[in-house]
Amino acid sequence: MEPADLSALQEQALEELDRARTLAELEAVRVKYLGRKGLLPAIMEKLGDLPPAERPIVGRSANAFKENFAQRLNVCREQLERNRGGVVPKRAWDPTLPGLWRGMGVRHPIAQIMEETIQIFDRLGFTIADGPDLETEWHNFDALNTPADHPSRDTQDTFWLTDTLLLRTQTSPVQIRVMESRPPPVRIIAPGRCYRRDTTDATHSANFHQIEGLYVDRNVSLADLKGDLTYFARALMGSEVKVRFRPHFFPFTEPSVEYDFSCHVCGGKGCRVCKNSGWIEISGAGMVDPKVFHNVGYDPEQWTGYAFGMGVERLAMIKFGIDDIRLLYDNDARFLEQFA
Amino acid sequence: MKIPLEWLGEYVDLSGLSSQEIAERLTFSGLEVEGIETVGCQAEGIVVGEVLEVRPHPAADRLRVAIVNGGGGTPLTVVCGASNVRPGLKAPLAPVGARLANGVRIQAATLRGVRSEGMLCAEDELGISSDHTGLMELPAEARPGEPLDRIVGSADTVLSAEITPNRPDCLSLIGIARELGVLFERPLRVPDPVLISRGERAVERLKVVLEDWNGCPRYTARLLAGVRVAPSPAWMRRRLERAGVRAICNVVDVTNYVMLECGQPLHAFDLRRLKGGCLRVRRAQEGETLQTLDGVIRRLTPGILVIADAERPVALAGIMGGEESGVLSDTAEVVLESAYFQPALIRKTSKALGLSSESSYRFERGADPEGVEWASRRAAALLGEFAGAEATPDFWDLYPAPVSRRRVSMRWERARTLLGTDPGADRIVRYFEGLGLRILARDAQRVETEIPSWRVDLEREADLIEEAARLYGLDKIPAAEPFARLVPGADDRPVRARLEVNRRLAALGLTEIMNYSFTSDRLLDLMDPTDRDRRARLPNPLSAEHAVLRPSLLPQMIETLGRNRSRQCEEAAFFETGRVFYRTADGGWAESERVAIGLMERPGLGSIDEESCFRRLKGVLERLCAALRMPPLEKGGVRLPPLELEMADWPWAEAGLSVSVRMGGRLAGRAGLVRSAIRREWRITDPVAVAELEMDALTPHLFRVPVYRPVSVHPSVDRDVAFIVDESVCHSDVIRVMLEQAPSELRRIRLFDIYRDSALIRAGRKSMAYRLTYQSEKKTLTDEEANTYHGYIKAGLTRVLRAEIRE
Repeated sequence: MEPADLSALQEQALEELDRARTLAELEAVRVKYLGRKGLLPAIMEKLGDLPPAERPIVGRSANAFKENFAQRLNVCREQLERNRGGVVPKRAWDPTLPGLWRGMGVRHPIAQIMEETIQIFDRLGFTIADGPDLETEWHNFDALNTPADHPSRDTQDTFWLTDTLLLRTQTSPVQIRVMESRPPPVRIIAPGRCYRRDTTDATHSANFHQIEGLYVDRNVSLADLKGDLTYFARALMGSEVKVRFRPHFFPFTEPSVEYDFSCHVCGGKGCRVCKNSGWIEISGAGMVDPKVFHNVGYDPEQWTGYAFGMGVERLAMIKFGIDDIRLLYDNDARFLEQFA
Repeated sequence: MKIPLEWLGEYVDLSGLSSQEIAERLTFSGLEVEGIETVGCQAEGIVVGEVLEVRPHPAADRLRVAIVNGGGGTPLTVVCGASNVRPGLKAPLAPVGARLANGVRIQAATLRGVRSEGMLCAEDELGISSDHTGLMELPAEARPGEPLDRIVGSADTVLSAEITPNRPDCLSLIGIARELGVLFERPLRVPDPVLISRGERAVERLKVVLEDWNGCPRYTARLLAGVRVAPSPAWMRRRLERAGVRAICNVVDVTNYVMLECGQPLHAFDLRRLKGGCLRVRRAQEGETLQTLDGVIRRLTPGILVIADAERPVALAGIMGGEESGVLSDTAEVVLESAYFQPALIRKTSKALGLSSESSYRFERGADPEGVEWASRRAAALLGEFAGAEATPDFWDLYPAPVSRRRVSMRWERARTLLGTDPGADRIVRYFEGLGLRILARDAQRVETEIPSWRVDLEREADLIEEAARLYGLDKIPAAEPFARLVPGADDRPVRARLEVNRRLAALGLTEIMNYSFTSDRLLDLMDPTDRDRRARLPNPLSAEHAVLRPSLLPQMIETLGRNRSRQCEEAAFFETGRVFYRTADGGWAESERVAIGLMERPGLGSIDEESCFRRLKGVLERLCAALRMPPLEKGGVRLPPLELEMADWPWAEAGLSVSVRMGGRLAGRAGLVRSAIRREWRITDPVAVAELEMDALTPHLFRVPVYRPVSVHPSVDRDVAFIVDESVCHSDVIRVMLEQAPSELRRIRLFDIYRDSALIRAGRKSMAYRLTYQSEKKTLTDEEANTYHGYIKAGLTRVLRAEIRE
C-alpha cells in the first residue's frame, strides 16, 4: 500500500459519501470504509508488514483519511437531516394522531398521602409498623389510659363486636403493640384504617385512615415533636408552612396538644381553604403519658417520647382541594385519573 | 359550654379585654373557643313604642302611616311597611337620633310625601336575630318610652368553649374566670354568701340517711322555709338563657344558676312531697320504678344509686330528679340537695339508662367534693333574696370520709426535659398559685404542691408540667432541628412488602380504588348467597347498607366498575388492597389482607370478547408474578412459569371462565369473568374480569435478589412449528412438552396462531403455530444445529401430544 493508493481510496470514499441519498446509505458507506471489517482498518492492520521507514508516512496518511472522512460524513449527514424536512416523505404522516400506549395506573389520593408521609418520615429513620383492624379493648383503650368508666371514651363512638373486641377507633393501639413487642428506643410510623360510628357526611366517614407516629428515647421533648412535625409539614405541603400547637386533652399523652399547619394556599393570610383563619387544624399529639409507658413495661423515669396522629383523608382533602370526603370512596374513574 | 361575658365579669375583671382577645387566650391555654356570638340589642337609643292608630299611606299601597306613642309628649308619625303593624301593638321604636345595629342613624325623612319621625323595628334591625318577617312584638306590659335594653337585655357576647373531659372544673364560670385570672394576671372574685338563718332546726323536720358511702361520698341537704315560687328576676333569666338554660321559676333557676356559676349540680325537693320527711341515699331495689322529670317512667335495676324517701326513689342520684317530688308552684318548704357522687357510677348509670343531663355530665367528669357546701350556701342565699326563703340554722352534711387533697411534686429538670424549654421557676409557681395550688415546699430541684379539690385531673408530675406548658404558651416551645435516628434491629420488611405490592400494581397500569369496609347483605347475596353464615355482621350497624364487614373485595370491585359504567365510563382497570373480615368456625372474628383486580375494557371503540377479556386479566397476573419476582416452578426437571390457573367454579363467575390462581406453587386466590346475571344489575353488557388474591401469597419473593446471568452475544435463530392437535390439548401441555424436549439453547417460545374451522382440519382439532428461538451462550448456532434441536421438539410433540406437524 502506497500513500498514493491511500489518497485514491480517500477520493473514492469522499465521492461515495457525497452520492449517498439517505442516512442509511450514508451509514453503509461509513461501514464500508471505517467499520470493524472496513477498508481502512484492513490497511491499518497491515501497517506492521511495511518497512519501518514507511510506516509513519502511511500511518499519517491513514489518519488524515480518517479525519477527512469523518468531517465529510458529518457535513453529508447534516445535509441529509436538514433536507429531510423539506423532502416529501413516501407516506402521508400526521404527527398529531393520538399516541398509542396503554393507560397509566394511578394511586388513590389517600394512598398517595400515606406513601408520601411514610417517605418523609423514612428520611428521619422511622420504620413502618401496623396492627389489626379487629382490635382488643386493651390495645385500643385500656392500655392507652382510657378506662371504661371515663368520659374520654365518649369522643370515640365505637363499633363493638364483642365485649372486648372492637374495630379500632384510632391507629394508637399500634403504639402499644410495638412497645409490647420490643424495648426502647422506638421510632415508628403506622398508617392504617380506623372506624367510628359517625354518620357519613361531607366531612365524616365511618371508616377513615390515620397515620400514627411514635418516638421513644432518652430525653425526647415537645420541642422534638414540634421540630419533626414542622419538617413533615414543609415536606408535604410546602417549604413555608409553619406548625402551631394548642393545648388539648388526650388520655394517652401528657401534655397533649392539637396541632395546626399554617395554610399552604394563602400562606397564612386567610382564604377559603383555611376558612380565613390562616391555619388548618390537622390533628392531635403529645408526650407519651407515663401510664402508657407503665402499661407496656417501659420505665417512664428513663424514657420519654412523643406520639402524634393525623387523619389521612383530611390531609388529602386539604392538599388536593377536595371538599367532600365521600368523593374519596366513590371511585369515579374521572375523579381518580386527576391524581396521576 | 356557653360563656356569657357579662356574667363572667362578675368573677374576674374583664375590662379592657376584647372578646377576641379572651377567646384567643382561652383557646391557646386549652379551652378551645369554637364560637363567638353577640346577643341582645345591638342598636342604641331604642325605646318601646305603642301604636295608637294606623292609617293608609296616601301615595303607596304597601306603606302605612302609624301614630306612635314613644313616651314623649306628642305622638310621632312613623311610616311603616310591616304587615303586623296594628293599633295597640308595642314594638321597638327608633326615634330620630337612634342608631340601628347596622350603624345607620335614624333621621326624620319624607317618604312619598309623608313625614316620618322615626322607625318601628324588626328583630334583625336591632341585631337580636336575623328575623325580618315583621315588627318585633313586645310584651303588653312594656311601657312606652322605656329603653328596650330593659326588656331584651343589653348587648353581650357569648363564647362557646369545648371543655375537654379532664377539666370538669371549667364547666363553670368561676372555673373559667380562674383561668382568665391567671392568663391576664387579674384576681378571681368569688362571692362569699352569708346566710341569715331563722326558725326551727333542719334535723327536726328532715331525716337524711347515707347508706352508700362509696356511691355518694358526701351528701348535704338544707331546709328552706317560707319559699314563694315565682319567676326569677329578669337579669337572672337573661343570664341563664344566654348560657343555654331555660328559665323556669326562681327555685329551679337558682339551682341552675349556681351550677353554672361553680359547677356543682343542685336539686330542690318539695319537703311536703317526701314521704316520712326523709331522704335515703341508697341503691335501687329490684322492681322499683321512677318517673323522672322528663316524664319517662324508668325501671330501675339494683346497682343504680337513687335518692329515696321513706317509701320510694324520688331522684336518680346525680342525674335527674323525680316528677313526684319536685318543686310545684305552691311549694313552700324546699329541701336543697348538694352532693358529691362517684364519677364512674354516675357514668355507668347514665349510659345504662341512656339519660344524660347537665348534672350527670358534671358528676361523671368529677365535681368538687369540697365545693358542695359553698354551692348549697350560695343557692340558699340567692333563694333568700329572690324567693323569700329562710334557711334553718343547721343543715345535713354527711361526709364520713373526707377526700384528702393530693400532694404532687414536680422536678424542674423533668419539666425542662419534657418541654424542651424552660419557662422559669418563679413564673411556674405564679401559675400554680393562680390555679389554686398550695405551694408546700420549693427548692432548686423541685416544687411540692397541694392540689385543690376541684382539680380532679392533677395527679402526677406530668400533669403539673402540662399546666406549666399550657399557661406559658406552647407557641414559646421551640421547634428542635429534626435529625435522623436509626433504631438498630427495627425490621419493617413485611409491611414494606405489602406497600410495594400496591406500587407494582399501579406500575402495571392499574388504578387504585378504595371502598368502605362495610357493605350490605344485599350486595353479598347477589355475589354469593352461600356464605351467609360466615359473614362478619356488626352488632350495632349504622344502616343496612353498612351492616356487614366485607368478606371479600370482589363485590365492591364489581359494584365500582358498574357504577363507573353507569356513568358512561367505558373502560377501567382497577385494583384495591384492603382487609376482609369473616367469622371463624369457632365463632371468632378474623381478618386478612387481600388484593382485588378488576378489568372492564373496550379496546378502541369496539367491544371485547370473553376470551380476550379473560386473557387480559391473565396478562396482568403474569406481569404481576414477574413484578413480584416469582421464580419459575421446577417440575420434573423443567422450569415452568410461576402462574398456574386451574378450573374452578365460583358462584359469581361465568361457568368455564372461573379459575383458582396459584402463584409460585401456592394457592393465591381466584379469578374469572363475572356472571352476566350479576353484571345486569349495572347493565354491563361487556365482559368483566376480576381476580382476588391473598396479600400473603404475593410477598414471599418480593425481596429476592436477582442474580445476573450473562446475555449471549451470539445471534439467535428462529424456527417456526405448526401442528394440528386435539382441542383437549392446552397451550400449557405444548409448553411442557417443548421444555422437556428442549436443549438448553431454547430461549423463547411464542404462540402466534391458533386456527380452526378449515376444510383441512377435522372438527375437534385445531392448528397451533409457535415460533421458537434458539441461542447458544458459546457460539453462533449453525442452521443444522437449530434444525436438529427443532427436530427433537417436533418429535416430542408428535409422540406425546399426537400432534400432526404441518410442513
